[in-house]
Amino acid sequence: MSGLRVEGCTVAFGGLRAIDNVTLAIPDGTITALIGPNGSGKSTFVNMVSGQIPPAAGRILLGGDAITGLRPDRIVHRGLARTYQVPKVPKELTIEEVISVPLLYARSERPLPPGVRGAADLARYCGLRPAVSTRCGQLSVSDLRRLEIARALACRPDVLLLDESMAGLGVEDTEQVIALVREIHASGVTVLVIEHVMRIIAKLCRHAIVLNQGRLLAEGEPQRVLTDGQVREAYLGKGFTL
Amino acid sequence: MNALVLRLGFYAAIAAPFVAVALAEHAFLVQVAIGIAVSAILALAWDILSRTGQVSLGHAAFFGMGGYGSALLTPVLGPVLGWTAGLLLCGAVAVLLGAVTLRLRRLYFTIATLSFSLSIQVFILVTPDLTGGSTGIMPPVLAGGSPPHQLLFITGCLVAAAVVSDVFLGARFRPAFFMIRNNPHLAAASGVPVTRLKILAFAVSGMVAGLAGACYAGLYGYVIPDDVFTTNWNVLPLAVTILGGMDTTLGPVVGAVALRLLEEVARHVVGGVGYQVVYGAVIILFIVGMPAGLVGFARGLLRRRKAPARSDGAKARLAS
Amino acid sequence: MTTAAVLQAVILSLTVAALYAAVAAGLTLTVGVTRIINFAHGEFVMLGAFLTYGLHTRWGVSPWLGMAASGVALGLLSALVYRLFLARVLKQDEHNQLLATLGLSILLLNIAVILWSPDPRVMQAPALMPPLRLGAVTVPGNNVAVALVGLLLFLAMLWIKNHTRYGTQMRFASDDPELALHAGINVDRVFELSFVIGGAAAGVSGGLVALVLYVQPSVGVDLVIRAFAIIALGGLGNIPGALMGAAILALVEGLVSTFVPQGGSWGFGVAFLLLLLVLVVRPSGLFGKQVQA
Repeated sequence: MSGLRVEGCTVAFGGLRAIDNVTLAIPDGTITALIGPNGSGKSTFVNMVSGQIPPAAGRILLGGDAITGLRPDRIVHRGLARTYQVPKVPKELTIEEVISVPLLYARSERPLPPGVRGAADLARYCGLRPAVSTRCGQLSVSDLRRLEIARALACRPDVLLLDESMAGLGVEDTEQVIALVREIHASGVTVLVIEHVMRIIAKLCRHAIVLNQGRLLAEGEPQRVLTDGQVREAYLGKGFTL
Repeated sequence: MNALVLRLGFYAAIAAPFVAVALAEHAFLVQVAIGIAVSAILALAWDILSRTGQVSLGHAAFFGMGGYGSALLTPVLGPVLGWTAGLLLCGAVAVLLGAVTLRLRRLYFTIATLSFSLSIQVFILVTPDLTGGSTGIMPPVLAGGSPPHQLLFITGCLVAAAVVSDVFLGARFRPAFFMIRNNPHLAAASGVPVTRLKILAFAVSGMVAGLAGACYAGLYGYVIPDDVFTTNWNVLPLAVTILGGMDTTLGPVVGAVALRLLEEVARHVVGGVGYQVVYGAVIILFIVGMPAGLVGFARGLLRRRKAPARSDGAKARLAS
Repeated sequence: MTTAAVLQAVILSLTVAALYAAVAAGLTLTVGVTRIINFAHGEFVMLGAFLTYGLHTRWGVSPWLGMAASGVALGLLSALVYRLFLARVLKQDEHNQLLATLGLSILLLNIAVILWSPDPRVMQAPALMPPLRLGAVTVPGNNVAVALVGLLLFLAMLWIKNHTRYGTQMRFASDDPELALHAGINVDRVFELSFVIGGAAAGVSGGLVALVLYVQPSVGVDLVIRAFAIIALGGLGNIPGALMGAAILALVEGLVSTFVPQGGSWGFGVAFLLLLLVLVVRPSGLFGKQVQA
């Protein structure tokens, strides 16, 4: 089957299991949320799937092909891209130069979004207002977030992992990014949104996956999952009553 | 077309002072200019690698290998093939060393290059039949031994090194190199084959350093290991590049000139031994006070003059 | 190659190992905490060596006292270097930090060359302790002293890291400086302290160097290469690993220089080849954890 599949994967740091025997599937063309309290392993999951931290056990399949243990740049070639929660980019590079790197190196056969022909177009598509010749050192936080999405899109992925791309943004910015993510999804990209703001999840996704302490806790429609007793307990602690 | 003319003009501008000195045939200045040109080539080599975030403390090894390689192979293969083979040797060694050490923490690469350059002399010493051992070798002299002609030839090599440096400052490599230096995970997540590019940079860097060494070895017709495999040639490219400006082609050239001036002063004050204290002082002062070097500082001034300061909302501390 | 000869080489190497371990421990403490690769650590050791040598040769000061004085002096110098220079460099990226400490190393080395000439000297000190007889092997008194002090220094580093309040703060600050700041830890003070402790250890190690090695401006470079090779062998930040690494390196060096023809001139070759070998086989060091580039 196409899309992203994770089978029995475990990532351990010393004695701590950050990802504990997790099996899940993100079907092709869907937009799914990955949620969980702090420390549940969401970012580790992204690092694992993108190849930055190979799993100690288990398999990862992208579009039916195994990508377990491949180097991150090879996984990008296969069609999976991710954003970083805290983007750290060289401050002397311009917006255009940062986006140009995946355009040159990602070697993907997928097309860019409709109407987008190069770095400048992609920057506009992602809502970046400063000129593409602006250096990263001059950009605001929200611009850097959008740049990070543009960079990941420039990898022309089949599957896009957005790691808390909306954290710390203002209300208006968040709405705009939500609209952008919807458009990306509409253009055919499978999206996995890692977030912990429930409002965003509910707006964007039909399916949510909950992690807790590295294990899969629950799956299903966001509304249902968020009212699940076990999920509430994970977030709020045992014995919490409303 | 315009861009090409500008580029050629740039290389002509770099070559012009050296050519002028060669044509003037002023004996002392020609020697000084030769020294500066050789330093500039070596510094360019070092900077090419430094752009990927790898600090080499072992460029003397490639300097020496280029000198010895070209000296030993030219009698066998002729000057063109001999020099080419010498440079390819440097490249091959860089690829081998890089394949092992560039995957690791950056610190270990630096240590490996330092200890490699300090150990390579042993190889020379234990193969006296092949390499002349401690008594040295007699490389064919460049340009018939005429210093002004040597300077012209070496200036040509300097322009070649500048061209190579510019290739790696072009759109294909510069953003990728800087990303590798600043955030290798981000680079990999953008499809960049990080280790492979670093090995490429190291190989090119080694070859350009070998070119500098080949030029140097051909100056007097006699070279001993201590001439080329010393700490001096390890530290010099750092000081030159940091002074002149890292991540640029003009920086190492300007830095070579400026450092030579400072060296003269230091030699006057301190004598022939220990004058490299000026290298240490330059590195410290510039990294702390002027990290972009002379060229970077000048460019910054020009930029601020062109565009008045913009206030851009919240300036992010995320870009670093 | 009699058994006694081999044993003698081995035992002497182990005393040198204690010296290497002390140097490496101070360095790995500083690097592990502040994440600044202090290339000038070797020069701190060298300055300590010169101080101990000078005090003894000029004024007959006992090397015991000389070592202590070196520890104090280098501790103070480290504080000065930190405040004037390193604190500023901390704000820059890793690439520039490495270059900055390199610059400091070159500066200090050449100042020493200017002041004291590049020639090696040997400190003619009477044995600080009686020689140790182990069967057919005799260990000279100064080697015994070096082994003891080296081990003590090493254990002191370990103790500070694992059993003092400062040690805990250091570990916290190195893992997550921002979080540590919020937890009320004066991260700058902790960094400075780790630097000072590392520097003081370097100073005392310098005294040991004066006792059994040679006193020369370039001894710092010699040692820092070995220190980093040891740290690579043992794993970054892993102090006990440094002891194993030091033992392995010193043993291999000692055996090579004693039994391989012209082995003495191999010098760094051994450290280098060993380092390469280990890093090819186990990039995280023999005892270290998985490290990302």
